[in-house]
Amino acid sequence: MTRVIAITGKGGTGKTAIAALLIRYLTKGNKIVLAIDADPDTNLPETLGCEAETGIGDMREFMLNERDNLPPDVNKESIFESKIYEVLTEMPGYDLLVMGRPEGSGCYCYANNLLRGIMDRLVKNYDVVIIDTAAGLEHFSRKIIRDVDDLIVVTDGSRRGLRTGERIRELVGELEANVKNIYVIANKVTEANKDKISETAKELKLELIGAVEVDEMIQERDLVGSPLFDLPDDSVAVREIENIAKKLKL
Amino acid sequence: MADEFPFEISPMFEGERVRKDGMYVELAGPKSKGFELVKSVEMDEIEDGKFTLIGPDLSAMEEGSRHPIAMIYRIAGELVEQDLEAIVERRNHDFQNYIQGVMHLNQRYDIWIRVSKDAMKKGLNSFEQIAKATMMLFKNELPFIEKIEATYITDLAEVEKELDGAIATYTARDERTRDLHDEDVDVFYGCTLCQSFAPTNVCVVTPDRISLCGAINWFDGRAAAKVDPEGPQFAIEKGEIIDAEGGEYSGVNDLAKSLSNGEYDRIKIHSFFEYPHTSCGCFEVVGFYIPEVDGIGWVDRDFTGTAPNGLPFSTMAGQTGGGKQIVGFLGIGINYFRSPKFIETDGGWDRVVWMPKHLKDKVLADIPEDIVDKVATEEDATDLESLKAFLTEKKHPILERWVEEEEEDEEVVEETTTAASTMQMPTMTAGAPMMPAGLGLGSGSGSGGSGVKITLKNAKVSIDRVIIKKSE
Ligand SMILES: Nc1ncnc2c1ncn2[C@@H]1O[C@H](COP(=O)(O)OP(=O)(O)OP(=O)(O)O)[C@@H](O)[C@H]1O
Ligand code: SF4
Ligand SMILES: [Mg+2]
Repeated sequence: MTRVIAITGKGGTGKTAIAALLIRYLTKGNKIVLAIDADPDTNLPETLGCEAETGIGDMREFMLNERDNLPPDVNKESIFESKIYEVLTEMPGYDLLVMGRPEGSGCYCYANNLLRGIMDRLVKNYDVVIIDTAAGLEHFSRKIIRDVDDLIVVTDGSRRGLRTGERIRELVGELEANVKNIYVIANKVTEANKDKISETAKELKLELIGAVEVDEMIQERDLVGSPLFDLPDDSVAVREIENIAKKLKL
Repeated sequence: MADEFPFEISPMFEGERVRKDGMYVELAGPKSKGFELVKSVEMDEIEDGKFTLIGPDLSAMEEGSRHPIAMIYRIAGELVEQDLEAIVERRNHDFQNYIQGVMHLNQRYDIWIRVSKDAMKKGLNSFEQIAKATMMLFKNELPFIEKIEATYITDLAEVEKELDGAIATYTARDERTRDLHDEDVDVFYGCTLCQSFAPTNVCVVTPDRISLCGAINWFDGRAAAKVDPEGPQFAIEKGEIIDAEGGEYSGVNDLAKSLSNGEYDRIKIHSFFEYPHTSCGCFEVVGFYIPEVDGIGWVDRDFTGTAPNGLPFSTMAGQTGGGKQIVGFLGIGINYFRSPKFIETDGGWDRVVWMPKHLKDKVLADIPEDIVDKVATEEDATDLESLKAFLTEKKHPILERWVEEEEEDEEVVEETTTAASTMQMPTMTAGAPMMPAGLGLGSGSGSGGSGVKITLKNAKVSIDRVIIKKSE
């Protein structure tokens, strides 16, 4: 069975970094991963150190634009599927799919319906799917992938960040989403705020599954703009992600 | 029987993806060339089960390499005919995906195939094995195929040599498909995907009417209903023909009634004014009646200005959507303009007076020659005055209706005046629903509605007597 994990949280909290490090951990353990960047402001490829120029959104647009020119009796799902496979970036151990261009005006009902079917089938080919979504887009990514096993809310440790977590929890309730578990990861934690965070999390009844400290190696890489995928094993963040992954039984 | 193959064969493997890491070879695909083709031939032209390979075999291909491939199947049988070629050909996709370790994507000259390393390890080493398995499935699943022969080509020059012929076959086939009409089929398809926000909307998709969102044609409906008959697209038996021209069928009516929860019980698929198709809000184009010229204008999503009636797309879309039958507005898919039955019962193209330039350009080739220059765009007309002037100057066939209308108007007036016991003057701002004069006004200035202003021009109004009474 494929395990589907969606990562969300407020802007800039470290969703993409956490996603990249989870993918790093999984591929090292020989798991086959499908990474999905559902943030229209694509930046997971960069963090992973690969390239993805076009995404699902562009292919969906292609289908919308071309539909009247296609032979009338073609199987549109099979063409769409092939187009999605075309934009999959294939890397050792993982494949990456970016969402890219969001919906425009017009009707996306049918295209999205085909897409859900295609994604259902695609997802089954992987051990784990990691979805990096922008805050508030949990709903959006669920349009494409029906069932999410774990929703991970990344917070930067501030009370506001944890409140976001609480709000997401409510939102998911309202959506009656098929989300089995919700966890919180505190990121960019310092000695000073560590205890405060776990207290607040408890108050808000959120399950804190890990706390990633501010990592100097990440900061160094930020400065030169190099990917996080090949961080060394002794990076603080890498080690904590390993703990988290084990708690998640990945 | 499958024992003779070094791989498993099952529909279970259909969604199986061969990743780059696990791929032995890639065939055709976006970075190479290829095609698949099924040809019907006479029984004595082929030898059942025969396989020919032109070019290198799997075993001669290097791990991780990419090659072109053409797969040509010749089929024969008493019931085999040319029209079946496309249906049979599409099954190649299914059958090759049944083979464990083989991934087949897309169709025709866009096919894209991968064979996995695992499959090679288990003993797959020749295209003959794949071809034989595929031919076996063809014969098992499509028993009308009595004989089948396969030729695979992996030599680039040879593939290219055959490609033009294949493309010609596809083109000819598409022309035949486009020639399928409502009267040629017994089943239409319905779609209720949009009922989540327009609960009474039911889209009816027929060979001559694409869905109003433009996404689903009759063939798509058929394909989807076959895969999942309980899904959002489903078959509708046509039933009895009630009105051939307007496109009214008992089967459609029955279904409309049940799926709209009794909201409406009649649909005329090709009618603008009588029991029109409902619109959920997804339409690509909305048609609007312009009572002042008794014609129909069309406006699409991409048009940002206002139509001659002073309204932008968004306003009219708001009026039209919601899954109700709104006489005077109709949502359609762009391809419906290309249908020979396009609002046939209302006069077809002769009733069309205005559309945005970019929309007109899109369907230009499908507008009848004698009317194409007479349909105004925003470059010719931006309001009712300029529209009327344009139509008059171009001698648009709609002018004939204006004459009729004038005559009718006089009749109306006479009727109402003789029958008038209370004040029944045809008001100049009849709050009538948008209907052509024959419908709305013929019944004597209709009841309240959308507050649309209908102006009678050149109507001679004669009144014998006006009695004003205090209402009791
Ligand atoms: N544990 C950490 N230690 C130090 N820096 C970190 C850590 N986690 C993330 N960062 C840095 O913080 C910044 C924001 O992280 P990231 O881009 O992953 O956040 P995000 O939530 O995905 O942002 P967005 O909402 O813009 O997508 C980046 O520069 C990242 O390298
Ligand atoms: S608009 Fe399109 S998707 Fe929506 S119900 Fe109609 S056919 Fe289906
Ligand atoms: Mg991000």
